[in-house]
Amino acid sequence: MNAAGTAVLRLDDVHRVHGQAATEVQALRGVSLAVYPGELVAVMGPSGSGKSTLLTIAGGLDSPTSGTVCVEGRDLGGLDRAGRARLRRTSVGYVFQDFNLVPALTAAENAALPLELDGVRARAARGAALAALGELGIEELADRFPDQMSGGQQQRVAIARAVVGERRLVLADEPTGALDSETGEEVLRMLRARCDAGTAAVMVTHEARHAAWADRVVFLRDGVVVDESSPLPPTALLEPSLR
Amino acid sequence: MTGRLAARWALPLRVARREAWRSKGRSLLVLVLIALPVLAVTASAVVVATTQVSGAEGIDRRLGTAQARVDVSPDIGRVVQGADPDQGALITEGPAPQRPLDAADLSRRLGGAPTTELRQSQARFVSDDGAAPVETTELDLGDPLTRGLFDLTSGRWPSGPGEVVANQALLDRLGLAVGDRLEPAAEGGPSPRVVGVAESTTVRSSPVAAGPLGSLGIDTSGLRSWLVGGDPVTWSEVRGLNRAGAVVVSRSVVLDPPPADQLPDELGVTGTTDPVIVAVVALVVAMVLLEVVLLAGPAFAVGAKRQARSLALMSSSGATPAQVRRSLLATAVVLGSVAAVGGVLLGLALAAAAMPLVQRLSASWLGPFDVPWLPVLAVLAFGLLSALLAALAPAVMVARQDVVAVLAGRRGEARPSRVSPVVGTLLLALGVAGSAYGALTRGSELFIAFAAVLCVLGTVLLVPLVLALLGRLARRLPLVVRYAVRDAARQRSRTAPAVAAVAATVAGVVTLGIGASSDALESRSTYQPSLAMGSGVVTPGWSETGEPLPGSWEAAETVVERALPEARTTAVVGLGQDDGNSYTEVSRPGSSVPVLSSYGSALGGSELVGDEALAAAPGLSAATLERVRTALADGRAVVFADQTGDSDTVRVRVERVEDDGTTSRVAQRTLPATYVAVGAATAPAQLLLPPELARELGPTRTVGLVVDGAPIGDAQEEAVSEGVAALGMQGSFYVERGYQADDEDVIVLLVLFALGAVLVLGGTLTATFLALSDARPDLATLAAVGASPRARRGIAASYAFVVGFVGAALGAVVGLVPGLAVAVPLTSQGADGGWTVEGGDVVSGAPPVTGPFLDVPWLLVLGLVVVLPLLTAAVVGLLTRSRLPLVARAA
Repeated sequence: MNAAGTAVLRLDDVHRVHGQAATEVQALRGVSLAVYPGELVAVMGPSGSGKSTLLTIAGGLDSPTSGTVCVEGRDLGGLDRAGRARLRRTSVGYVFQDFNLVPALTAAENAALPLELDGVRARAARGAALAALGELGIEELADRFPDQMSGGQQQRVAIARAVVGERRLVLADEPTGALDSETGEEVLRMLRARCDAGTAAVMVTHEARHAAWADRVVFLRDGVVVDESSPLPPTALLEPSLR
Repeated sequence: MTGRLAARWALPLRVARREAWRSKGRSLLVLVLIALPVLAVTASAVVVATTQVSGAEGIDRRLGTAQARVDVSPDIGRVVQGADPDQGALITEGPAPQRPLDAADLSRRLGGAPTTELRQSQARFVSDDGAAPVETTELDLGDPLTRGLFDLTSGRWPSGPGEVVANQALLDRLGLAVGDRLEPAAEGGPSPRVVGVAESTTVRSSPVAAGPLGSLGIDTSGLRSWLVGGDPVTWSEVRGLNRAGAVVVSRSVVLDPPPADQLPDELGVTGTTDPVIVAVVALVVAMVLLEVVLLAGPAFAVGAKRQARSLALMSSSGATPAQVRRSLLATAVVLGSVAAVGGVLLGLALAAAAMPLVQRLSASWLGPFDVPWLPVLAVLAFGLLSALLAALAPAVMVARQDVVAVLAGRRGEARPSRVSPVVGTLLLALGVAGSAYGALTRGSELFIAFAAVLCVLGTVLLVPLVLALLGRLARRLPLVVRYAVRDAARQRSRTAPAVAAVAATVAGVVTLGIGASSDALESRSTYQPSLAMGSGVVTPGWSETGEPLPGSWEAAETVVERALPEARTTAVVGLGQDDGNSYTEVSRPGSSVPVLSSYGSALGGSELVGDEALAAAPGLSAATLERVRTALADGRAVVFADQTGDSDTVRVRVERVEDDGTTSRVAQRTLPATYVAVGAATAPAQLLLPPELARELGPTRTVGLVVDGAPIGDAQEEAVSEGVAALGMQGSFYVERGYQADDEDVIVLLVLFALGAVLVLGGTLTATFLALSDARPDLATLAAVGASPRARRGIAASYAFVVGFVGAALGAVVGLVPGLAVAVPLTSQGADGGWTVEGGDVVSGAPPVTGPFLDVPWLLVLGLVVVLPLLTAAVVGLLTRSRLPLVARAA
């Protein structure tokens, strides 16, 4: 891989346990992963394999039970809640499957949200948001409210929000899950283009053909990375017997 | 029919019960909102019913063990009375009989029933500071008929005419103990020894004394009363005694009143309720209902949204809109009935618990614990009704929802109704027009109250439109405020009722506040001092026939000197025959019109001799005083007049009213006079005379004692008051302190503010925390893009501010209209035009037209519109947990 560059995201022997004793669930068991600038990594695996937990921990929405998580060289374990929130405003962008946008805000305002929350003046934030929307070719949506947009348009606005400003890590949790396949492809093409421009991205997906857009696929099962590969024919990854 | 009804409601009610249990917080909120007014009204209804001792409840207190009480007055011919003459239904007529009934006649008429005489009055006895009024009763306390009127608590019953019993309040007030003697304040009365403490079964906290006939020197001026034993006194016996001039309170008649058709026709229709009171009660009930519905509405709106998906699923499996509606209304039925029943039970418990405290504050003994079931049932129905009304709008809306959109998981609110803003504008216009009409028409306060309700209803319907407009204007606001405004605009079904509740409250408070403070302004502006500031005057009391009570002015002077050694006292001398039976007319020669339309007699009389008292008269300029002094020194009368005229003489006539109503002239003189115009101010007297002219009109005497030259404190005022009250003249002492802002005025505004604050706070907090629980997914999104934990607080505080501020601002604007309208009739006087006087002469000085006085209590308005919402926002900010929901993606 791109070993020369510094990893934007680095997970080192990360464990995450939900619940206690009888209800204890091992969501992640010693996962290590590094994602470099310009790289799009797909995370696959069956339900309950820990895919979503991996993403929430990577962005500091959740904390590992043990192990370290570094974003752009900063150890999240050393940050308090406010510090992790600041990190999400400045370095990490999230894209979820649905309910991505705040319905009370327009597309531009949604895209400008991280900047405004970070204290950037409203006018400047709006400018940056319009630029991000423009790069993604959806400037005309700027003043629409979420319930005036289609699902695909909403998802594109969510990506704009994830990359607005100088953020270099996008964490996407099944970003195409709620979309029809054609719209889904378009959203992925957009994400790919951002990565080619230098952003690092981790995308959880359960569709093999989406994984084809990735530079690398990480396969999780029961909280353990069972395979990590350069893009093979994706179907091979789904068959453990082919390991 | 009932079977079908039960079948239709069984399932929704079961679901509603579980749903209410599942969302405990919201259910509790609704329960509290509905139960609180129910509780308050129930508790106060019980306390009022218990405090009011009805005729039947109090019969033992009034009659002891007797069957009846008979009052005979010497100058009454025939009595027309209702079942209970003490309740107002009483007419007397006809010439007095030759010989009034006596005890023997009474006993004979009632089949040889035993009788015992009873005398009741009020007398003053000497206390530490002077004299105190005491309720006195003379009766044979050993007679079994009187048992139950007094309860002996210590000592013994009187055994002879020199002994009495007194209640604890009397001993405390007069500083006496058992064994001491009561000293009458008037000369010549008996001074009996107190041999026991006995409480009256009626009066609790004011002084009471009772003893055998003659022990307290009661003079009833011919009125005689008896308690009668024996058989129950029937209604026909009562009517018979009435014909003989007796008023009868019969135990059996009071307990079992005769039917209305047996009551005398002369009494007319009794027991009708004043329609104005009915209207006021209806208005108050309507406003409280509106308030409760608006406050509880948001909770049901949020509940409806939470259930939207399951209700859409019901629709998709074939439920009719009616069934969908019913399932939400069932929640209201469940919560409403629990709240209403719980509120009533708690209200009863609260009333029972509060009774000892109420007794301690009450001057009379309370009746037995009394639950007025009819009002309580009405309150119960009110609770249920308010829940149903609060759930109605959300239920109708959820039944109309787009099933497909809901099932597809799309959020978003229906477009605002086009009809309700139109209706709202119409109602508001009607209300404004009504207020304007009411302001211009006399005696129309109630009309304005209805107009005010129309204004409020109109505003309630306009709130969604206002919110939608605000949402469009929010673009330039900071992020959290923008979010709050837009969310408020989008989620109108839960925001609008809360904003409307705040608006309705503030409108009401502002209306009442303007009324109250305009009233206070009128009192302040039209205040006429009776004396110069800081002066005092002692004046004698009046006998029942209207004569000033005789008394020693030296004694009064001594009382003043003891309390105010520094002060100067000046005797005010006036014409002697100015008393209840004679009057003095002052007019220009050749005219019968009085020169003065109104004048005071604060100095003790209105025709004064000399200028000694003038220093204490208010509002006379130095120049005027000088003119008055010069005129008096020149031997001229000084006439205070509405207007000065060209005349330099005055006609003074002293007329006496004889017992048969005819008048006779005592004196008439035309005197040289100087006129002093007083304009709209009240003149201190109508006439000042130099001594030599006064002698021509008859004798003179001291009518008052002016006290000035030293500051008079509250304690000194009280000492002088009590001291002169104890004298033979039973005098009173008045000190001019200028306009005293009634504590009440301030208290009214404070109570209004507190009431407004509680409701505004309640409405705002309700809406805010419902909004927060609704905003969970949005907050999660904000957290994911890096909102700091404070953002939740900021949003909550902004939302609270938006609800509070928008509601209060709307309410204040709307409240101004009926508030100013009601202040006009409330503070306008004499607007009907001037007087005319018989004889064709039009009085030159018509009664002064004053008002209207308009005063908007801006501090109150500012407090409600700005301070209160900010305060609420701060409270919300502090109370809100700052933690954001982090991973709440599943919606």
